[in-house]
Amino acid sequence: MLQLERIKEENKDILRLIGEVDASNSVLLDQSMQEILQQGATFLLIDGSQLAYISSAGLGVFMSYLDDFSEQGIRFAIFGLNEQVTEVFKILGLDRLIKIAPDKSTAITLGNES
Amino acid sequence: MIKNRSLPLGRISLLLAILVWLALVLVDLVRIFGMINNLDSGVSEEVTWILEILFFIFVYLVYRRIFWKNKQSDFLTLIWRGVSTGLFAAAAGLLTELIYLVLGESKIGTDPFLRNVFYHINFALTSAFLIFITLLWKHLILYQKNKQVVNQWQVFELSMLGALFFVFFNHNNFDYSFLFGLTILLIISILLAVNLKWIPYLNFKEKWKTLLFLFLIMGCAGVLFYRVLDSGNEGDLQINLTDNLFLMALFGFVFAYGLFSFLVTLFNLPTSSVFEQKLTEAINFQKLSQSIQPEESEEQVLDILLDSCISASFSDAAWIELNPKEQFKVKNPLRFLDESTRAELNSLIPQEHQSWVHGNTAELPQPQTIRLTHPIYKSALLLPLVVNKSILGRIVLIKEVKEGFNKEMISIIGTFARQACISVENHRLLNQAIENERYQEELKIAQRVQKALLPLHLDHPDSFDICAYSNTADEVGGDYYDTYQVDENHFVLIMGDVSGKGTSAAFHMAQMKGVFQSLIQLGIHPAEFMTKANAALSKCLERNHFITASIFEIDTVTHTFCHARAGHIPTLWYKATEKAAEFISIEGLGLGIVRNPTYKNHVQEKTFDYSSGDILVLLTDGILEGRNETGEQFGYDRIKKIVEAHHQKSPIHLQQEIIDSLHQFVGGYGMIDDDYSLLVVKFK
Repeated sequence: MLQLERIKEENKDILRLIGEVDASNSVLLDQSMQEILQQGATFLLIDGSQLAYISSAGLGVFMSYLDDFSEQGIRFAIFGLNEQVTEVFKILGLDRLIKIAPDKSTAITLGNES
Repeated sequence: MIKNRSLPLGRISLLLAILVWLALVLVDLVRIFGMINNLDSGVSEEVTWILEILFFIFVYLVYRRIFWKNKQSDFLTLIWRGVSTGLFAAAAGLLTELIYLVLGESKIGTDPFLRNVFYHINFALTSAFLIFITLLWKHLILYQKNKQVVNQWQVFELSMLGALFFVFFNHNNFDYSFLFGLTILLIISILLAVNLKWIPYLNFKEKWKTLLFLFLIMGCAGVLFYRVLDSGNEGDLQINLTDNLFLMALFGFVFAYGLFSFLVTLFNLPTSSVFEQKLTEAINFQKLSQSIQPEESEEQVLDILLDSCISASFSDAAWIELNPKEQFKVKNPLRFLDESTRAELNSLIPQEHQSWVHGNTAELPQPQTIRLTHPIYKSALLLPLVVNKSILGRIVLIKEVKEGFNKEMISIIGTFARQACISVENHRLLNQAIENERYQEELKIAQRVQKALLPLHLDHPDSFDICAYSNTADEVGGDYYDTYQVDENHFVLIMGDVSGKGTSAAFHMAQMKGVFQSLIQLGIHPAEFMTKANAALSKCLERNHFITASIFEIDTVTHTFCHARAGHIPTLWYKATEKAAEFISIEGLGLGIVRNPTYKNHVQEKTFDYSSGDILVLLTDGILEGRNETGEQFGYDRIKKIVEAHHQKSPIHLQQEIIDSLHQFVGGYGMIDDDYSLLVVKFK
């Protein structure tokens, strides 16, 4: 089960993931990301504080946008991930490509650095 | 046996009937001779009665036989036989009259013996006619019989049997007992005469024929009855066979049922078209409800539907149009009109109903009646065809009268349409099921092919033991492992995992195998191997897919292994010297994530020394992420503890230990929703 919530804050778009991302619902995540980008987002934050689990298919969604983010200069960060999910990002090596922060304010600071 | 017993029965009865009749004639002539000459002929009148009864019984048997043989014939054929018998009997009667008219008061004309012979002939024919018609009526009365009717008929038959022997009691006197018996039999006849279920099943033309036939039968009966009464009044005829309760009751029954049938058929004439219509509708409905065979087309169903709708609504013209999205066409979409008229009429249908064809409306449409402003055609009925919540098309029925479609028509047509749509839907579901079956077969083949991609035999020297296991979440999966012997002392172990699962993962797994097998030939070191693999796989992986991999290059001489990890689950290394296991920590990014040459900055390789008794356990994330019913993951620690606890076991047993623990942990309610693989190496 995956629930997606979109919050607009000044120049930032926050996408909150609630539940689990797996092969069956990673398409929903992809759609939401695409919508946000099409609407001209410049600073995208993923709120993963209520994300219980992410499968490789879910990671693939984030991964597929990395080029778009760097090409279009979109700031992107993920925050609030629990230990287990953070571990999944780290093992794959995505922590070196995506800014992963413990909380929102750190994520904003990290995002602004680039 | 049956043939021997049953076949000649009719002929024997006929023969006996004729013999009995001849005996009757003879006996009666003897009796008349005695009466005229005032001699005692020695033959009592009881003999006549017995012979008469026997005659009736044998005639009855003859005709019963005929009916039994022709029970499959339709009503009209049987009634016609009755008519012909009646006409013959009546003609014979009238001929007798004519002969006597010609003979006049001549000697032969007044001869009592000749007169008696004629009388007996007429008696025989009349009896035969009456018995035949009675059996015919029985056949008609018992059409679609129920128990009550059968019982009524049995009562009637028993009463008639009684009437047959009544003559012994009554001695052929026309007295009150005779009248009483006749009245009772007539009442039973009238009660039976209400069983007329056969009439509605005749069509209009058959009803007219039936009316004519019934009229003829009653006419013949009338003539014969008149003659019976007439001859009874003739004084010079001392033998009276016809003033008999049985015969009179037969007359009554024949008249009563004939009259009822005649009247009911007559009054049924105007409504017979309705009954026929209902029958046609029932047949059409049955045709529509027969599911289409896979090789037949949906078009045939729609064809039947269109014709059924026209006949049910008496439409003057009609057409069927299909949703343009549908893939098939109806060859003859028009009925009783040409394309230009159709276009003209179609333009008269209000715009709001036109959208049906395209299936845009959210709500499912109902049949709609529409008034047309056209010189010939005045009203239309739009009948939408809905299959599986989408509009297949519609039928437009056109009539030349205003408001030509009533509620009953719309309801029956609606039922037709629904039934046809169910047929079409069933047909589609069936095809889909067949298609699915085919896909299942294809998947099984894919599964077999993919299994063959994993090595059957794992290359290894005597210096270490190895075993591997792989299981997929779906039919096919994205996990891969392999071994390769570079030279005498160098062996390569590799394990890979495509992101996601199922068919797409399986295709990428095949590509991965190709790339890995090629690169392994180059004899390059792990980090370079990963960099080159990344470059190759970046070109063939979909944008949102990646692969994780682990590679070990083992040197059995120096007792070292060089290892690189590309985003893969860290390998568990049990060190015999420390009696503890740990996950090898080394940096490395998954393959296909960074699709440019900078990837080489994201991967490392490291060489480790191993000693005898050390164990390497390569895993994919499916094992770690196996979850129990509370959602807890199997995780790293459990595997570590299992390996530490069972390090003394051989690779194959250790592997089984891990798999068993995983299944035990997951239990019946949890799940392993991913492919999972294991590769266990134990150094000697």
